[in-house]
Amino acid sequence: EVAYSQSTGQKEQLSRCLKRGIRRVQDLCKVLQLPALFEETAVSYVQRALQHPSFHLLSLEKKELLGGCCVFVTCRQHNWPLTMGTICSLLYAKQELFATVFLSLQKELELSVPALSLADLVKSHLNSFQLFQPTANIPAQFGEDKEKVVARTLQIVELASETWLVTGRHPVPIITAAAFLAWQSLHPPARLSCTLSRFCKLAGVDLPPPAHLRLKELLEILLRMASQLVWLRMFNLDKKTVVKHIGDLLQHRLVLLKKAFCLHDGEEQQPMATGEGSPPAAQDGDCPLEGQQQREDSPRPLLPPCLLNPRKRLRTAAPRASDSAITGDEPISDSEIEQYLRGPEEVRAFRKAKLW
Amino acid sequence: FKDDLSASPQLFTPMSPYDVDLPIQTTEDAFGSQLNQPKDLSTDFSVDLSFLPDITQDDKEQNLSEDGYEKQKELDGSISRNEDGGIFVDESSLSYPGATQPSPEASGTCHPLIPMTPMTPVTPASESSGIVPQLQNIVSTVNLACKLDLKNIALHARNAEYNPKRFAAVIMRIREPRTTALIFSSGKMVCTGAKSEEQSRLAARKYARVVQKLGFPAKFLDFKIQNMVGSCDVRFPIRLEGLVLTHQQFSSYEPELFPGLIYRMVKPRIVLLIFVSGKVVLTGAKERSQIYEAFENIYPILKGFKKPS
Repeated sequence: EVAYSQSTGQKEQLSRCLKRGIRRVQDLCKVLQLPALFEETAVSYVQRALQHPSFHLLSLEKKELLGGCCVFVTCRQHNWPLTMGTICSLLYAKQELFATVFLSLQKELELSVPALSLADLVKSHLNSFQLFQPTANIPAQFGEDKEKVVARTLQIVELASETWLVTGRHPVPIITAAAFLAWQSLHPPARLSCTLSRFCKLAGVDLPPPAHLRLKELLEILLRMASQLVWLRMFNLDKKTVVKHIGDLLQHRLVLLKKAFCLHDGEEQQPMATGEGSPPAAQDGDCPLEGQQQREDSPRPLLPPCLLNPRKRLRTAAPRASDSAITGDEPISDSEIEQYLRGPEEVRAFRKAKLW
Repeated sequence: FKDDLSASPQLFTPMSPYDVDLPIQTTEDAFGSQLNQPKDLSTDFSVDLSFLPDITQDDKEQNLSEDGYEKQKELDGSISRNEDGGIFVDESSLSYPGATQPSPEASGTCHPLIPMTPMTPVTPASESSGIVPQLQNIVSTVNLACKLDLKNIALHARNAEYNPKRFAAVIMRIREPRTTALIFSSGKMVCTGAKSEEQSRLAARKYARVVQKLGFPAKFLDFKIQNMVGSCDVRFPIRLEGLVLTHQQFSSYEPELFPGLIYRMVKPRIVLLIFVSGKVVLTGAKERSQIYEAFENIYPILKGFKKPS
């Protein structure tokens, strides 16, 4: 600290928001142990943002998040695997609020934010799993070499990506499920009896709710692949026993994927006249989607789960012919309008009831 | 993310654009738009050139500039993004589609360089997707031009809801056309939920009539369509991770936030929500031709991501 008379007044020229933003950036970079370059970049984003007219009207609540947002963007631009969830918990911010600030920042400053690299996220996420570090409280044969788990988790995540389990989904639950399967498959005898929730507890990580569903989807994919491995067909594998063979399945995954699923051959569907679609017919002629009654080993189309199990939705009715004839200038009858008006007795009763 | 696209009360909330849940600006950007219409370029490229023979790849490359940003609409979208991937140059899309979809609702606004405006969107059959987006929601506004006593309206109208602590407007609904209106004490009104421009206008007129019958000297001034939402299905799954890589300047794909990819098209200025299932939502239009045009622009781009990687 220097006497005001001797200072260059540089700090005094910065607005309070900017100072706080810069401070927040510095703190986050320290906590996350980010390279020095990141801090410079993030600070420059904060400055640019605060100079942008659209950010002048930002609520204080949101301005608080600006520093964290800029750090987040910087990390993503350098492929440093930082999730929004992590940043939000560090900022004690609601994810919804953070999301609006992030999207505005991206739009107003015209920042290009590359997609999160799943492979990098696997490595950084598994760093926090305690089962891969030698400690005393781990049950017998539960400890595992981190590099082995990371390698296998990466392969499983890649498999998930190829089979449409990743697109549009939260990334962390997929990694949690994949890590669980990888760990189990490296020593099945002792670990098959361990559940996903127990695994997460022992590893000291949160169990995100979608992880159970991701696990189920992964196992379904693996079972279908197993049905194509000649020496596994006779074993009649189920969700538990297939884990023992994950190593083999991953090794031959390219071939197995081709055989287990009908891959698109690029043929386009007959486009429907209306924009709205009914559930899509099978992409290939030789793998019909007969509802749920498919034999376990017959190839099914390789499609995202949302297309395979369409949730029952109220389909909006196709526009009626009478609707398209509307000009907007039709006469409006008195009776039609009067149906919406209360009669005098009704008004009286309403007034009494509501003390209007 | 609120996925309720039918209501857009953000038109009348204080002008903090960051209170909007969906990244859609339905009002004119008061803060300077990054999406300035390139005035000089639009005159060069908005002529209907569908009579020309198919352009080969070499011709297209001559037309590419460093700043593909403004020319995104003018050239076939998939070609101009070629510098990154170049994996999806589709033979069938090499011919130059009609630069702009002639507006079926020509009604007075006329683009100076299009010789004529046919009544229905006309594209050569070989290039069009064959899919027509269906309109799902129209948001319009009208000025009833008189001060309104909202308490009074809520008391005398059966179809009205009024909770001044929650929202400073009466929420009124009618059955046909099935719509909702927000009626403000200033006399301004927002009408949402209609499936066509005409239905929106008819509904707005009915709300105005209700207000008239309640004793207010309501007029019907400055009716305007503020936003149109359409949707359709391309019928194949889409690799969103790939799309965000090759169209980074226009795309935002954050699976942590929202399962769909948000694509901000420059010309026409439309926001598209693209989902892995192949369903596409288009919004931000003031005229339905913008929805059709935006979809015809995005379709060849999406086709490039049809095959699994």
